[in-house]
Amino acid sequence: MASDPQSTANQRIVEDLVSRLRRRQLVGSRATALETLLVLRQVVSKARFSNIDQLVNVIRIVGRRLVEAQPKEHSVGNTVRKVLHHIREEYHTASERPTVQSSFSIAKFVLQGQPRKQTPIPRSETRVPLKENDPDDPDSFARVLKPVLMEAIQDVFDELETVYDNISKNAKDHIHSDEIILTLGMSRTVQSFLKSAAHYRNYTVIVAETAPSYGGREMAASLSSAGISTFLVPDSSIYALMSRVNKVILGAHAILANGGMFATSGSLLAATAARSYSTPVVVCAGQFKLTPLWNLYHEYGALDFGDPSAVLGFEEGDLVDKVDVVNPYYDYVRPELLDVFITNYGDHPPSSIYRLLKETYDDEDNEL
Amino acid sequence: MRMPSLSAKPKNERKDERDRNNNEPRKLHRNNNSRVREYPALQDHPLPNRRAAASTSKDAPTNIRDGAGGPDGSSDSPKSRGLRIFSHFGLPKTPGHQIKGDIHPAIVKLGLQFSEFKICGANARCIATLTAFKTVIQDYVTPPHNTLSRHLMTHLSPQITHLVTARPMSVTMGNAIRQLKLEISGSDIDLPEQDAKDALCHKIDEYIRDRIIIADEVIEDLAVKKIKDGDVVLTYARSSLVEKILLRAHSLDKRFSVIVIDSRPLLEGKTLLHSLASTVPPLPCTYALLPALPSLIIDADIVLLGAHSLHANGSVYSRAGTAMVAMLAKEHSVPVMLCCETYKFSDTVMLDGFGKNELAPTKFSPEVPKSNSNLEALNPLYDSTPASCITAVVTEVGLIPPTSISSIPLALGRTTL
Repeated sequence: MASDPQSTANQRIVEDLVSRLRRRQLVGSRATALETLLVLRQVVSKARFSNIDQLVNVIRIVGRRLVEAQPKEHSVGNTVRKVLHHIREEYHTASERPTVQSSFSIAKFVLQGQPRKQTPIPRSETRVPLKENDPDDPDSFARVLKPVLMEAIQDVFDELETVYDNISKNAKDHIHSDEIILTLGMSRTVQSFLKSAAHYRNYTVIVAETAPSYGGREMAASLSSAGISTFLVPDSSIYALMSRVNKVILGAHAILANGGMFATSGSLLAATAARSYSTPVVVCAGQFKLTPLWNLYHEYGALDFGDPSAVLGFEEGDLVDKVDVVNPYYDYVRPELLDVFITNYGDHPPSSIYRLLKETYDDEDNEL
Repeated sequence: MRMPSLSAKPKNERKDERDRNNNEPRKLHRNNNSRVREYPALQDHPLPNRRAAASTSKDAPTNIRDGAGGPDGSSDSPKSRGLRIFSHFGLPKTPGHQIKGDIHPAIVKLGLQFSEFKICGANARCIATLTAFKTVIQDYVTPPHNTLSRHLMTHLSPQITHLVTARPMSVTMGNAIRQLKLEISGSDIDLPEQDAKDALCHKIDEYIRDRIIIADEVIEDLAVKKIKDGDVVLTYARSSLVEKILLRAHSLDKRFSVIVIDSRPLLEGKTLLHSLASTVPPLPCTYALLPALPSLIIDADIVLLGAHSLHANGSVYSRAGTAMVAMLAKEHSVPVMLCCETYKFSDTVMLDGFGKNELAPTKFSPEVPKSNSNLEALNPLYDSTPASCITAVVTEVGLIPPTSISSIPLALGRTTL
């Protein structure tokens, strides 16, 4: 494969993304998902294959490399899985075999009566019969299939582009007038959700600043500039203020198969405090964050740690040698603490996440 | 003996209320820039100012409110609503408050130390207040045709008021002052003045010794027994008592490590960390901010917390964040020991940390873009931990459940049964 000039070109794009992921130059679940998709589109468009297994194999190899580069960015793997799922679906349609996808889908069920913005456009019908492993013309299979695959990838792309709009379009049904909302950290999803609700409702947001990244400060500045009455509080006062909070709205880093999630550290504190006051906890997240993984064994979030100097800087010089400083990036929040996930595919309780996962990805891709 | 203390309390409350009224004009002036200039000028004249402090001030704040309400309230309704929810917190006290009436220099100095947070913490503030009162009492001369037992309190009242304008009174100070009033009103009329003053100072010394210093030592002994070799002790922010317990345990050659959890606005845990890390051999310490707590609580074997005050329904009023530490510890079945002297007990109930709270002064606030009128930084200093999250309260009378405070007769500032 290395001898093939086209695959070396592919390799270069892949290598580029791998190193950017590894160096953490590219962070954030949506940004990584978009970049992954761009790479996959390139890979598919240049790949040479004469049957579906070869194509799936190529994508898997690329996917595995990307995931290994940054296993904490779950949306990379999710995007690869999603693309694989779409490719198989297109292949089955094209080869006119009975589709494996069940006719009943919980996502469709939830969305009934409120159709998605981009209704699936009927694909350019390829009536040319698909012939796998054609000895006379090994490229014919790829030639026929590629246009549909490109369209399928474009669909995933469009979905990612519009994910914030689609999540926040029902914001006014979740936030009501004069409510007090608590949120924390900086999440683009939550930000657009709250801003969209502000068009219809007059409400107050309390933002916990989320040390040591203090993403909450950025969030508070952005929300207040959109005209929302905003209060910025230290993390320590979450519990004291919780008795007046009507709803806690959190962002997620990854939604796990059991309905739990990885989220900015501090989320678990807020969710636990919310439960002790029976305050509902709402999570806003795009569907690309659905991850077919489980975390039942450790509390250290996703076992990802940040820079300790943000917690205890070198200005405390004499302490630095003597003290261990811990700065985890993420919390693992158990499904019992969450009430609903608001996704671009509708609102789902944590208990139906497993079902969504089954529909979104193929089982054989859980391990790339 | 009980009667004076009962009659003293409502007066105390009335004073608090008056004080709140007194704060109101300042609070409202913040919103109304045009008046900011006028007000300090007013403050230079003691007479109108004192009138504002008295009960006649009812009119003054309403006038100002009407003035401020027009342009501010109507143009920006979400903000005024936000202000209304949090209005009872008042504004963070600004240092350098004015002096009203005949205030002793020791109290002026103390007031500044309070408002600048140089003296911070329930024990430190109580000891500092009582020590300053000793100076005030020694410098006091009973005016002719008056007796010390009747007049001294009227001399002390403005001093107390001054301290309260610097920072809201702590429960510990309240309990100690109530006890002091009791002693003053009970002092013998026939005693020569100097002897009576010496007797009062002696009583104050005794109070500090018995209720705080000796009590702390007893609590140290009790709490140290609960720290075993190999334990990981988790604590939040800095309590002077917890610090003493940890240092004592370390000096007894117990091998344990400490996790210090900390949070803005005050970041007091760093002070604790400094004193723990400077021991020889250094105590193994881990330091993290509050959001990292869920990752660390699983390692902890015991949680030691301090308190500002403990209320009749068992809820603990303490540094903001304590409630979340206790809540998470309970969730992970880690015992939570609250270290608290009995003089911190209060006979009031506290249902949540929102009703009564105090805001940190602006110097602890993060930089907030001033141009943005919708954004406000709020830094509550305290929260209230429900009794269900506390395993045991370590007091000088033993380890008790948090709900059984009322059964301790020595509590609530009474020394007699």
